[in-house]
Amino acid sequence: METQHFSYDNKIVKFFAYATILWGVVGMLVGLLAALQLAFPIFNFDLAYTSFGRIRPVHTNAVIFAFVGNGIFTAVYYSLQRLLKARMFNDRLSWIHFWGWQAIIVSAAVTFVLGFTTSKEYAELEWPIDIALTIIWVVFGWNMFGTILRRRADHLYVAIWFYIATFVTVAVLHIGNSIALPYSWIQSYPVYAGVQDALVQWWYGHNAVAFFLTTPYLGLMYYFLPKAANRPVYSYRLSIIHFWALIFLYIWAGPHHLLYTALPDWAQSLGVAFSIMLLAPSWGGMFNGLLTLRGAWDKVRDSATLKFMVVAVTCYGMSTFEGPMMSLKWVNSLTHYTDWTIAHVHIGALGWNGFLTFGMLYYLFPKMWNTKLYSEKLANTHFWFGTLGMIFYALPLYWGAIVQTLMWKEFTPDGLLAYPNFLETVTQILPMYHARVLGGLLYFSGLILMVYNLLKTASAGKCVDNEEASAPAIVTDAKRGKSEGLHRWLERKPVQFMVLATVAILIGGAFEIIPTYLIKSNIPTIESVKPYTPLELQGRDIYIREGCNTCHTQMVRPFRSETERYGEYSKAGESVYDHPHVWGSKRTGPDLAREGVPGGKMYKTNVWHFNHMLDPQKMNAQSIMPAYPWLIKDVLDISSTPAKIRAMTTLGVPYPEGYDLIANEDLQKQAEEIAADLKNSGVEVASDKEILAVIAYLQRLGRDISVEN
Amino acid sequence: MEKKDKFLEEHEHLISDHDYDGIRELNNPMPTWWRYLFYITIIFAAVYMFRYHVFGDDLQIAEYNKEMALAEANKPKTAFDENALVLMTAKADLDKGKELYDKNCIACHGTLGEGNAIGPNLTDKYWLNGGSLKEVYHIIKVGKPMKGMLAWQNQLSPEQMLQVSSYTMSLVGTNPPNAKEAQGELVE
Repeated sequence: METQHFSYDNKIVKFFAYATILWGVVGMLVGLLAALQLAFPIFNFDLAYTSFGRIRPVHTNAVIFAFVGNGIFTAVYYSLQRLLKARMFNDRLSWIHFWGWQAIIVSAAVTFVLGFTTSKEYAELEWPIDIALTIIWVVFGWNMFGTILRRRADHLYVAIWFYIATFVTVAVLHIGNSIALPYSWIQSYPVYAGVQDALVQWWYGHNAVAFFLTTPYLGLMYYFLPKAANRPVYSYRLSIIHFWALIFLYIWAGPHHLLYTALPDWAQSLGVAFSIMLLAPSWGGMFNGLLTLRGAWDKVRDSATLKFMVVAVTCYGMSTFEGPMMSLKWVNSLTHYTDWTIAHVHIGALGWNGFLTFGMLYYLFPKMWNTKLYSEKLANTHFWFGTLGMIFYALPLYWGAIVQTLMWKEFTPDGLLAYPNFLETVTQILPMYHARVLGGLLYFSGLILMVYNLLKTASAGKCVDNEEASAPAIVTDAKRGKSEGLHRWLERKPVQFMVLATVAILIGGAFEIIPTYLIKSNIPTIESVKPYTPLELQGRDIYIREGCNTCHTQMVRPFRSETERYGEYSKAGESVYDHPHVWGSKRTGPDLAREGVPGGKMYKTNVWHFNHMLDPQKMNAQSIMPAYPWLIKDVLDISSTPAKIRAMTTLGVPYPEGYDLIANEDLQKQAEEIAADLKNSGVEVASDKEILAVIAYLQRLGRDISVEN
Repeated sequence: MEKKDKFLEEHEHLISDHDYDGIRELNNPMPTWWRYLFYITIIFAAVYMFRYHVFGDDLQIAEYNKEMALAEANKPKTAFDENALVLMTAKADLDKGKELYDKNCIACHGTLGEGNAIGPNLTDKYWLNGGSLKEVYHIIKVGKPMKGMLAWQNQLSPEQMLQVSSYTMSLVGTNPPNAKEAQGELVE
């Protein structure tokens, strides 16, 4: 066999590693700001660009796609080359991938702060950036697959199975969830509405967790953990079974984000059933990781890398136990919409993703810079800061969530809500929000220690940008050998492997999404539900722009404690014209689905809304809602109205023909009515301001199915 | 590439042709308890789907209807007579009324009942909806939603509403600063 000489591209790995660190710092810093804003609303600075509704997607996207994203690419570019004994397929593709990804991150941050958002969680990017993201993702896949096809190793190692599944599934999810109709050069409405939009969104949202935060990191674990511990992987068979079970089952679990909503019952039940079945496949990964360390626990004591990895894998086990439990309907009825979910995802993000990334970086820097870690002691300090930070972050939120959910549900002996004022339940858990800031600060301080440590390490050595290597060329037999197991054969057939993985991940989504379209009875029509007026539509878009739905749900669940507080529970037919749906996933403030029902439990007058938007703390000193003074100053852009109406008409919203041309007349008339009503209440405001659209929208909520109509 | 391995027994379990950049794999079976955990969850899932979608156990709306029916059945029979209200004057009741007022009313009627952009002044002798105890109690109970006054009957018990009513009426004539101009009819 001929021995071939080549080199590994370490330079690209170095760049991705630096990007991981940089975005880690940025993402967590923005997270700290968001935590501060919830504890002390003054940190919203009364500015549009820095208010919580816009900052929160910057935080989530920065951590998921910038920090973890670059972490994935660091791991893939480093391990793939070595596992395949080949340099990356094409250096130019590598660099297009790198700079393209960073450009997407920057444009994401800028557009979010400016208020351009689709409102879909973790898919807030608007259509031009969505397209760029698709292209860059394909570049990544092309580069990876090219490398696989030019490999010098016969078989694909389990880490690469996970990388392949990641590539395929993220592509499918991203494209499936982002299909939208543009109405301007930057903005768009999704083609899905209401129930369907919610289902597609959480099919995506849940599997962004699965295939962006989990599978690539399992691949990372399968390479770096055995390498760092210098131990063989515990069970090859477990790898096979848990891999296929995981990717097949994960896709079905999305509806567990929509339990007790207006999603059809059968889809909810599938979400529950498949979430429960995910427990063992998830734990398979954890145990294969932990059992790999058998006989190496003495090393864990001495190595910061391994310590981080052990805690990461343990956190993975905790999160993946908690996830299925939260998918049980009775548990979900308590935890959903509360900070329990926030604590849960942070165990995943800080523990699993964060710690695994740190472990990898502490391993990589000395390796690539050909030196020793600058300070093992500092790394240990980082470990303790991180661990304590997580505890201080998560425990208060778990506690607060229990307290708040029980307050929401408590009735007096007279049969009245014990805490009818939502704000009381917020004020009660405010100390927990303060403690959470402390936890975040600790975790962040640890991160800074790591940055210093790694920079010192790098400056002590010299990065080998091109690492020489050699390996024999492979001679593969296309046919399956006599004693060759089926899976063993599949491991050297990357194309067949990818096709099979694609089939596995398509089944669940197809089974759940297609019927909600085809079977009419899934979304019973409600005659009285009508499209928004032009002013309400503009107001809805401002509601989305300001991220109101990050803190306010519009989905009253069928519980006595909710119908007593908010009014009639939400029906599927109510949101058929909502492109996108704004059901929300967290109640930092009260639900608004029935906000506009005249005489309803949530009804407020126009002047109340005006004053409340201007200065919420003046209305309720303890409110943690940001102020929105710019809505009162800024003039509503009505030049977009015709295009918006046309886009909605194309999507099937029944506006009369030619309505786009006269919509602004109706808009102005309605705005003047509201301005006149405000004037009667002693508030002078010109009828062309944004606030009027927001008030019009809020006053519409829930009105369609109310008796007075 | 052969690695030094301190576990001889484990050495035998190494799969001979699995070596990825020095990472070896063992042919350990899947842990038994892990397999059983997986089977149990699969059985759970099947039973779950059958229970709700074949055998027809209660889905969420049926569950909700039962919850509401139960609450209705357990509603306490109140002895409170809303047709014979008596102004409360005991300090304990007025304190309780103030507590409720501070919690629920100051956003629209001001800290001292002086009124603001939203709600009317409660401290003068002019009333928009009548100034008798019965009328004050009634407006607190059913509200005037389109004008912004909430209906409190879903949040406060009859006794609590009487406490707030009595406290509110005790504010008349207190002349707080920044009082809103008079609205409604004079009631002496």
